[in-house]
Parts: sequence; C-alpha cells; structure tokens
Amino acid sequence: MLEFLIPNNVLCHAVEAMFFASIGCAILSVLITQMNIASIGFTMSHAAFAGGAAGVFFGLPMMISATALSVLTALVMGPLSYRTRMHTDTTLGVLFGTMMALAIFFIALMQSTGRGFDASALLYGNVVSLYREEIYALALIMLVIILLITLFSKEITAITFHRKMAEISGIRVQPVYYLLLLLIAIMVALCLPIVGGLLLYVWLVTPAAIAYQFCATIRQMFIAAPIVAACTSVIGAFVGITYSLPVGPLTAVLFSGVFVSAVALSPKRRVKNQTY
Amino acid sequence: MTVQESCSLIDLKDVWTTYEGASCPVIKGVSFTIKAGEFVVIGGPNGAGKTTLLEAITGLLPLVRGTVTVCGKGVPHEGTTVRCNVGYVIQNFDFHPFTPYTVEEVVRMGRYGRIGWFKRESKEDFEVAQDAMRKLGIEHLKDELIGKLSGGQQQKVLIAHNLAKKPSILLLDEPFSNLDLITRDEVSSLLCQVCDSGVPVLMVSHAFDSLPDRDIRVLVMQGGHMVLDSHSAAGNVADLIRSVPVAG
Ligand SMILES: Nc1ncnc2c1ncn2[C@@H]1O[C@H](COP(=O)(O)OP(=O)(O)O)[C@@H](O)[C@H]1O
Ligand SMILES: [Mg+2]
Repeated sequence: MLEFLIPNNVLCHAVEAMFFASIGCAILSVLITQMNIASIGFTMSHAAFAGGAAGVFFGLPMMISATALSVLTALVMGPLSYRTRMHTDTTLGVLFGTMMALAIFFIALMQSTGRGFDASALLYGNVVSLYREEIYALALIMLVIILLITLFSKEITAITFHRKMAEISGIRVQPVYYLLLLLIAIMVALCLPIVGGLLLYVWLVTPAAIAYQFCATIRQMFIAAPIVAACTSVIGAFVGITYSLPVGPLTAVLFSGVFVSAVALSPKRRVKNQTY
Repeated sequence: MTVQESCSLIDLKDVWTTYEGASCPVIKGVSFTIKAGEFVVIGGPNGAGKTTLLEAITGLLPLVRGTVTVCGKGVPHEGTTVRCNVGYVIQNFDFHPFTPYTVEEVVRMGRYGRIGWFKRESKEDFEVAQDAMRKLGIEHLKDELIGKLSGGQQQKVLIAHNLAKKPSILLLDEPFSNLDLITRDEVSSLLCQVCDSGVPVLMVSHAFDSLPDRDIRVLVMQGGHMVLDSHSAAGNVADLIRSVPVAG
C-alpha cells in the first residue's frame, strides 16, 4: 500500500505490517493494562503460538490455526475470568503452561525432522515473508479495533475504570468484555507471523506501559500508545531490514529502551522540590 | 401524597442468596418492602450480610430462593434495566493514585448505562453531571485524578456519580466511613433532600450520630437474618440497634 513512499518492496511490506500490527496491539494494550488482564493477554498470545506451531507442523496456514486456538482459549477464559477473580491466575498459569508445552512440542518435532526454518519463524517471527493477504488482514483488524473502540467508547471507558461500578451503572459488561477478549485473540494470532510467539506479549503490554508514564487520562493513553508503538515498530522494521537484523527481537528491545527512557523521564515519578 | 408513594419500589420475598463457592447461604429468608420517600438505615455487625443484601437488590448476585422486585422489575433477571435506575454507592473501592480518570469523567460515567448503546452524551447528560458535582461541592476537583484524592473526597465523587444517574432508589454502603464530621452532616442533609423528592434511601451505616433528623426505618441484619424492622427518630437509632440481642 505504501509502495509509492518506500520503493524497496520488502521494506515496504515490513513497515506496513509493523505499522498496522503495532497500532492494533497498542490500543488493546491500553485496555489490557487498565483492566488488569495482563495474564489473560499472556495466555492468549501463547495459545496463538501453540496454534501456529501445530498449524506449521501439519502444513496448515499458520494464521488460521493460530486464530482457531487463541479464539478457543478466549472462549474458555471468558466465563472463567469474568465473575470471580479467585484462582483465575492459577488457572491461567496452568493454561499458559499447557500452551507453551504444546508449542514447544511441535517446534521440537519440527527441528528433529529437519524443518528448523519453519520453527525459527514461529519463535522470532519473519516480517519479510508475509503474504499480501496477511497485511490486508492486519489493516482490517486494526480498523475494526479502532471502529469498535469508538463505537463502544462509553462502555469501554466505564469498564476500564472499574468493572463493578460499570456494571452497577447499568452497562452490560459481559458482552463488551467477551468482545475485547475476542479482539485480543484475533490480534495476537495475526501478529504471530510478524513478531513470533515469544515476543507477541511485548506488543500487548509495553505500548500502554510507556504511554502510562506520561499520560494522565485514558483518552491520552489511547492516543499516545499507538503513536509510540507505531513509531518504535516502524523504526525497528527500517533498521532491521536495512542492516539485516531480525526485526521482531530488535523492535522488542527498542520497546524496552523506550520504556526505560519513559520511566526515567516520567513526571509521575518526579517529586517537586519546592521552597515555601 | 403522590401515586408513586403508595406502591413499593423494593420488594423482597423470602430471599436467600449465596456467593460462588460459599459453604452456606449468606442471606437467609429476608423479606421486606420499601416505599417511595422512606429513609432506611441497615445496621448489624460486620459480616451480617448487609453488603450482600444490597448486591442482591441490585441483581449482582444470583438468588437461591425467593424473589426480588425493584421498580416492578424482577431481579436479577432484569438486573441491567434495574441498575440503570438504582444508585448504589459501593463500600470497598480503592483507586490507584494514577488511575487515569478525572473526577468529572467518573461522575459523567454514572449516566453511561442510562444513555445506552451507540448513543453519545447529550448536553443534558453533561449538565446533570455538573449539577451532581455541585451538590457534593466537588466542582473545584473536577480535573483532578480520582486516585489522587483523599478517601472522603473519593467517597463524594462516588455519591455524585450515583446522583448523576438520577436514580429512582439510592443505596449506600457505609457512605460515612471516610467522611469528616462536617461533611457527614452535609451529605446527610443532601440524602434527606433526595429522600424528600420521593427517592427512597437505603443506607448501611454505623455512623448513627450523622443521621438526618426525621423518621427513620431501621433494619437490623444478623447472621444473614433480618432480626429487626422498626421505626425510630434519628437520635434513638443507636439505642434501638444496641437493644437487639446478639444471637448465638
Ligand atoms: N465474595 C464473597 N465470597 C464468599 N463469601 C463472601 C463474599 N463476600 C462476603 N462473603 C461472606 O458473606 C458474609 C456477609 O458479608 P457482607 O455482606 O459483606 O457483610 P457486611 O454485613 O459486613 O457488609 C460474610 O460472612 C462473608 O464471609
Ligand atoms: Mg459491608
């Protein structure tokens, strides 16, 4: 889509993919961190990882199998995590372990059968080998996320503030909550081929963590997180492809760098020295 | 006397509720009705089931047995509709200091359920929220982050959040616990005004010296049972509750 700007075709695809993925993930990251469902995001991204691994092993399209397993996990976790927060973390811990085990099982199998390349694409992602359709899918999910966040902005604002108070104010929290889980599931599955199963989580948490350092309100976070994430990811893609470095891990490290600088510069941690 | 005043707004019949995973019911066979304009204080020891009772009325808990009818709607079946019209100031809230919402945003959120899906806030919604802040005397805090306020100020924000809803019934769970004495009196007379406008006020409280000077209906819970349902003048509520023998 951006060929007129970036003549190098490989670079162009990588930048597009990273741009769409990072914006979608960053918006979800604000929701995930504000709703304290980071462990759910963590489990879901590993479900996508396991689904992708199974898909690659059986020769199915990675995106389809990853989406299938992460959506399935969302359907299981929704009811599990909705009512009581009791024991949820333990259950998620077990589920997360299962997903990780599944993923590693298939990856180990692939390596022992001499399909090491497939396995490493799963682990670290491979932004260069994306199909056009995959980029369109990323653009589409990004637009869907933006649309839904705008459409349900009242409900989402209230739910991210305080789930119980939202429920008391007469909002139907459950359908919105399930919708968010579903979006996270689809998003992580679509991002799997780009950033790999082990790093997916960085995109789901770090953008909001960075934005949180210098934003006071949720509205500011919804704007700052995608901007920061998009800039970091596009820079990562540029540098990675120009110098033949692995794009996913490089960008993840960049994210951490931005996060550390944001923490260091954050006004939230500053204590004013005033003389009276 | 209005027509509204004669019909009951809250009607509980032999209500039993429990929490998920709890070994025995928390509310055991409670029945009562509340009419418009009543000012009700719910007393009783810690763990008696007062908070649970309010959650049963707002349809946040499943009923094991019995029926709860609020404004003519069955709870918890029509819980969402009921909650759009019932204010409920919760007891336990703890906001992280950097919770990214301002006081004004929180108060405006009180109306979000009423506004409904896909609709935006109207000018009226906005003004009702401003009015609620004015009533609680927190307009000057409107751009502050909620988490940065003191417990008492947060309590006032939550009351304003619920008043912004223009509720048909107002439930409050120990609303005075964080408030200073003068603010208690202010909130108390505000609740009195709400009550006089026909909205019944149900309040769980132990701060009996801050009750408004009017006829008060006193309900006492003990071990999940309703052990007293009586009327009293504000000054005698504490003595009345002390006079209830402690069971078991
Ligand atoms: N989430 C919960 N799960 C299980 N039991 C609960 C829960 N909340 C309260 N209870 C039990 O219900 C009883 C009544 O609690 P509550 O209604 O909060 O008392 P209070 O009268 O002090 O408001 C207590 O004995 C408590 O152990
Ligand atoms: Mg209580």
